[in-house]
Amino acid sequence: MNLEQIARKGLEYLTAEGATDGECLVYRGTKIEFNYSSGTLDLLRTVDSVAVAFKALVGTKKGTASLNSLEDADLRRAAKDAVSSAKISKEDPAEGLPEEIVQKSFSAGPLTPDKEEMLRLFNGFFAELQEKYPQISVDSATIAHSVGERVFCTTNGIRLTQRYGGYSFSPMFMAREGESTSSFNYFSALFLNPDRPLLDLAGGRQVVEDTLLQINPVSMEGKFEGEVIFTPACFGDLLGSVEGNFLSDGALIDGTSIWKDKIGKPVAAPCFQWSCRPRSEELAGGCFVTGGYEAKDSDLIKNGILQDFVLSRYGAKKTGLSRNPSGGGFYFVDAGDKSLNDMISTVRHGLLVGRFSGGSPAGDGTFSGIAKNSFEIRDGKITNAVSETMISGNLAQMLLDITEISAERINDGTCVLPWVKVKNLTVSGQ
Amino acid sequence: MFEGTLNSFSSFAADTELRRQCNRTRRIGYLNGDVVANALSESSGINARVFRGGRCGFSSSPETDLAAAERVLKAASDNARFLADHLPEIGKPLPPRTVTSFTGKWEEDTTSQREILEFLGQIDGYLASRYPNLVSRYVGCSCLSLEKELKTNDGVYAYSFLPRSNVALSLTAMTEEGTPVERVQIFGGSGVFARNFSDPALLYPEIDRLVEELMQKREGVFADAGRKTCIIAPELSGMLAHEAVGHTAEADFVISGSVAGPYRGKEVASPLVTLTDFANTFRGQTLPTPIYVDDEGTLARDAVLIDGGILTGWMHNRSSANRYGDTPTGNALAFGFADEPLIRMRNTAILPGTDTLSDMVSSIDDGYYFTATGNGQADATGEFMFGITMGYEIKKGKLGRALRDTTVSGVAFDVLKTVDMISDQMVWLNSGMCGKKQPFPVGMGGPHVKCKMNVGGK
Repeated sequence: MNLEQIARKGLEYLTAEGATDGECLVYRGTKIEFNYSSGTLDLLRTVDSVAVAFKALVGTKKGTASLNSLEDADLRRAAKDAVSSAKISKEDPAEGLPEEIVQKSFSAGPLTPDKEEMLRLFNGFFAELQEKYPQISVDSATIAHSVGERVFCTTNGIRLTQRYGGYSFSPMFMAREGESTSSFNYFSALFLNPDRPLLDLAGGRQVVEDTLLQINPVSMEGKFEGEVIFTPACFGDLLGSVEGNFLSDGALIDGTSIWKDKIGKPVAAPCFQWSCRPRSEELAGGCFVTGGYEAKDSDLIKNGILQDFVLSRYGAKKTGLSRNPSGGGFYFVDAGDKSLNDMISTVRHGLLVGRFSGGSPAGDGTFSGIAKNSFEIRDGKITNAVSETMISGNLAQMLLDITEISAERINDGTCVLPWVKVKNLTVSGQ
Repeated sequence: MFEGTLNSFSSFAADTELRRQCNRTRRIGYLNGDVVANALSESSGINARVFRGGRCGFSSSPETDLAAAERVLKAASDNARFLADHLPEIGKPLPPRTVTSFTGKWEEDTTSQREILEFLGQIDGYLASRYPNLVSRYVGCSCLSLEKELKTNDGVYAYSFLPRSNVALSLTAMTEEGTPVERVQIFGGSGVFARNFSDPALLYPEIDRLVEELMQKREGVFADAGRKTCIIAPELSGMLAHEAVGHTAEADFVISGSVAGPYRGKEVASPLVTLTDFANTFRGQTLPTPIYVDDEGTLARDAVLIDGGILTGWMHNRSSANRYGDTPTGNALAFGFADEPLIRMRNTAILPGTDTLSDMVSSIDDGYYFTATGNGQADATGEFMFGITMGYEIKKGKLGRALRDTTVSGVAFDVLKTVDMISDQMVWLNSGMCGKKQPFPVGMGGPHVKCKMNVGGK
């Protein structure tokens, strides 16, 4: 049976067990991965995967079950588990199936791995490090190719199929000199064609060169309010917290989002444009389907004004607001008009922050944490790497305090983001 | 359970591991009275890892029959050959494993999904009726079990079953300024649900205490930024042991350049500090993540990392122990059937001292007592940060006002050198998941520890 036939069989089992409605997602895929650890390329790994996920509705009561087998007896058992769970659950009028009846298939990316080319690129990465950046010590790295097919069917007639193939690369490393070691650093990239040196993906070369300058960081002393420039990867992580704390189902359903009444109102500096674009052709790792719907791009903040939340179908029903068609993630922030160098040149005293290592921001967005892989900026110049330096602020205020956005952006295959300068963040040392 | 299914394999062509595994999870949750999660999940399969020329081939399949086992053995062998054909031989051959047979105890999960829903529903009802002013309440249950069977070319056989079950509460209140504050608490630990939870009412005193702390935090103050004298509770001293020291002493990380590397045999902490990654037992007590034989077939033993302030050794797999001339410690563990074993921690803790908590508080004129953490991270330099989700001022030897969320940080060996008091209590915790390429359920714990750290404030 093909995956669609298995999904339809799964729906039959849900109905036979007493579900009034149901969803079935079936996945099959293969991953091949070269793995570097403990100082050597030590592992070649192939992984075959299957997965089936059921959602059963009995009226508006929901139950779910998942397994990793396509065997008929296992499907029957999991369908029964899902329906049994639904029967004992609580009525929730917000539960239901996606209403848009769509039948579509999507396909993207190379479905067959080029193993020899993967190994050549991987070896080339280490050879280039050894030749040009010998102080870099790689802790772990993987290059992988994944291919998979995913079929989503519902009892109300939806069928969405997507096939995807693509490569990924992810190294973690540090710089060493004598007994001194930098903080670890990393980058990751999704890509469709294994035709470029791996160091040229996702701004990796800059990350490596910055790491070399972080072997002997200086502990900052005292405390000041200053300007902080976040790298694209670091700013992307902070945007993830913004989505989680202010825009997502949980924060809006329980009413704790401080942006719950902010649609159409300013929440960021006017220069800030933020969107989710899962369908962008610029991304190697975009997606076609989210939450049982065909995914569509969506603006979150335009000219500093909040356009939409990131609610799922359930979250939308629960709050009476509209569902976001993107499903979240896949962030794009529009480029500004200044170069990174120009942005640095106007900082009197502040930081260039490569990674934020902090506790989860509080519900109101208050955050504090260590500035890792970061540099001090004085009078428009980067002076030294820093250690034991904390930054604190508030996510919501941070977006209002954006002063500049770089013209340069980094595309890691999942997001396209610039460097972003923010004023009035608290920086404290020992 | 599938004990004995690998017995049909009596010989392998090379240095080989064949592992069958099934992970089972349950996730049930109420958010403000609505059931937002009600899920059962199972992930099972078989894998083989074959060593050749100092490198490995690995393959896994979600099918678990004899034919699938033959397939993964061949695919793993082909992968090992591909590497051997393209890359030079490395390292010295691994010595054979000590022949071991271990059969752990299977524990039937007898609690139904309905019973857990009702259990959580009662807790949710208690919160809703007793504390109607909470703006948000989440009551959830998470159960995870790892069942594994391992066979190796040199005669090791091991069957293990590692269950845990936790109930989590997340409660939110609004401050007068209209900003949300939150307290999260996780209960339970090693074992299936019925072993940890029998009657919801037994948790009510703990829930009352949690709400009281939330109300204190609602009126709380922001910490002052800077280097402060602090007492960290077991939840944090366990995190310090795991994140800030433990990771730097994983042998694969040492090979890559961890800051701990040059300090073996040297003083890295106060003489009061002894820190160990325990395999399975501490003073007769079975620990949260008991490992008897690891996923390479090595008999697990305690790894003493710091002894009286001196850095003494690393946590190893077979390969790293061979490289350093040490005895393997049995720290090679894999999370899922499709995962290769990695060097990782089991139950990591600073050992208790002789002080009392009240004496420790009395000794501080101006500092903080941190009691709960939300997350923690550390890196190759030993620099760490923990998110603090509950804590108090200490003023003139007495506990003061509660704190809002903050962050503490430091460099592990520097902080450990400032330790001047350690309490005589020992608390073990079992809800943490360590992330290192794969997740893995870990135990951690410890006593109260007094030290100096950087505190992030407003």
